[in-house]
Amino acid sequence: MAPTFKLQSHFVLICLLALRGESRYLELREAVDPDPFARFSGGASPKRELEEEPLYRRALRCVDMLSLQGQFTFTADRPQLHCATFFIAEPEEFITIRYDLVSIDCQRGDILQVFDGWILKGEKFPSSQDHPLPTTERYIDFCESGLSRRSIRSSQNVAMIFFRIHEPGNGFTITMMTDPNLFPCNIISQTPNGRFTLVVPHLHRNCSFSIIYPVAIKISDLTLGHLNGLQLKKSSAGCGGIGDFVELLGGTGLDPSKMLLLADLCYPLRGPAQMKVGCDHTVVRMVSSGKHINRVTFEYRQLEPYELENPNGNSIQEFCLSTL
Amino acid sequence: MRLPLLVSVGVLLVALLPSPPCRALLSRGPIPGARQASQHAQPLSFFQPPPQPQEPQALPTLLRVGEEYFLRLGNLDETRAAPLSPAASPLASRSNSRLSPDKVAANFFRALLQPRRPLDSPAGPAERGTENALGSRQEAPAARKRRSQEPPISLDLTFHLLREVLEMTKADQLAQQAHSNRKLLDIAGK
Repeated sequence: MAPTFKLQSHFVLICLLALRGESRYLELREAVDPDPFARFSGGASPKRELEEEPLYRRALRCVDMLSLQGQFTFTADRPQLHCATFFIAEPEEFITIRYDLVSIDCQRGDILQVFDGWILKGEKFPSSQDHPLPTTERYIDFCESGLSRRSIRSSQNVAMIFFRIHEPGNGFTITMMTDPNLFPCNIISQTPNGRFTLVVPHLHRNCSFSIIYPVAIKISDLTLGHLNGLQLKKSSAGCGGIGDFVELLGGTGLDPSKMLLLADLCYPLRGPAQMKVGCDHTVVRMVSSGKHINRVTFEYRQLEPYELENPNGNSIQEFCLSTL
Repeated sequence: MRLPLLVSVGVLLVALLPSPPCRALLSRGPIPGARQASQHAQPLSFFQPPPQPQEPQALPTLLRVGEEYFLRLGNLDETRAAPLSPAASPLASRSNSRLSPDKVAANFFRALLQPRRPLDSPAGPAERGTENALGSRQEAPAARKRRSQEPPISLDLTFHLLREVLEMTKADQLAQQAHSNRKLLDIAGK
């Protein structure tokens, strides 16, 4: 075979192989993102069109709660001195609040502060014990930091802002965005019913799952890395606050550190364990030393009114106020 | 001679040996004062295996104290407040069972008296007077200093109202879902 012909054939083969790889990439891309409507819509994808939709927008109320990404504007029609907006995302999400436009008079006493968590009647979630930041650093005051901290990301799936505006016409616009959180810790449930698995992998931290409803909670799986089925602790003592364990808390305030300890688990379960907690607030809290991978799975459902009126079985209603 | 010496040593040892720490016990039986229905309740520590027959059926100190704590808390806003008991526990931490009753009561009083400035409390007249006295150039640093010294802002909202506000998010989600569905149908209809 002539050397020139050999070179040409090699060149052709190389080009064919390169194109084959590229076409393979296109096949994979279509397989991952199939669009049955693409051939009918002249190439435009409905999914792509939905993603290109403008940001969700609406006006903010003085006391409001947001769970969707979008842009929100508050404009004072009169002096508004006691306002707050709660943010709540999915358990596996962080919240980012970005100031788009702020028109307030700090010198006149207007307030615009972001708090990393929720705070009600002085009680914080997560508690001071379970949050990575000290309380003072959990407040980000716009009047102090200005736009130097234009975007603020929460440490969990909840956050809130406090604002006070004296002058009608003043206000602000913010954008709420969410980012994925691979190992959520410190969560408030959006719903009174659900199921969740709390995993703390080799981290020395305490994580709480909060339900702001009276619920029946069923723990179906508990894995504490240092214990297996053969190592059963004696029943007389309880967990004693040592090592890795799970607590079930109930109370009438938001702060888990101020709630009543209803039960603690520090060894594997033989089967599902259910308890009815007639408190305004129920928390499943996992304490981890960081030496193990700990996991707890539980389901919860809101208690019916008749269950609150006639407690029986494993009920803790008598330890909470009857304000329901 | 030896005998009295040994007796003295024994007495000293008994007097000086540390007593075991108090620990919270989970319930093994009914709680005093509970309603009749709860007498048939399973032990609260249902997570624990059934107690051995030879184990004492001790009542849980922590849970009893907790019951009293919540009763006190419920009466704080009422005109007829029940007298505070030294046994009341703030339950601020899980180590409460190790605190002496006097310290527990002291903590409870401290928690009650802890200043908490709700969002709706206006600035006091002293603060306003101070602010007016300052020159315009010093207003911003003075306001900042005052702001940093103020206790953390909080909102006095009940859980009931918080749930009502949380319900608002469902309306938002439904509206957004309806909008997406409408858009999808519009695209499919093209």
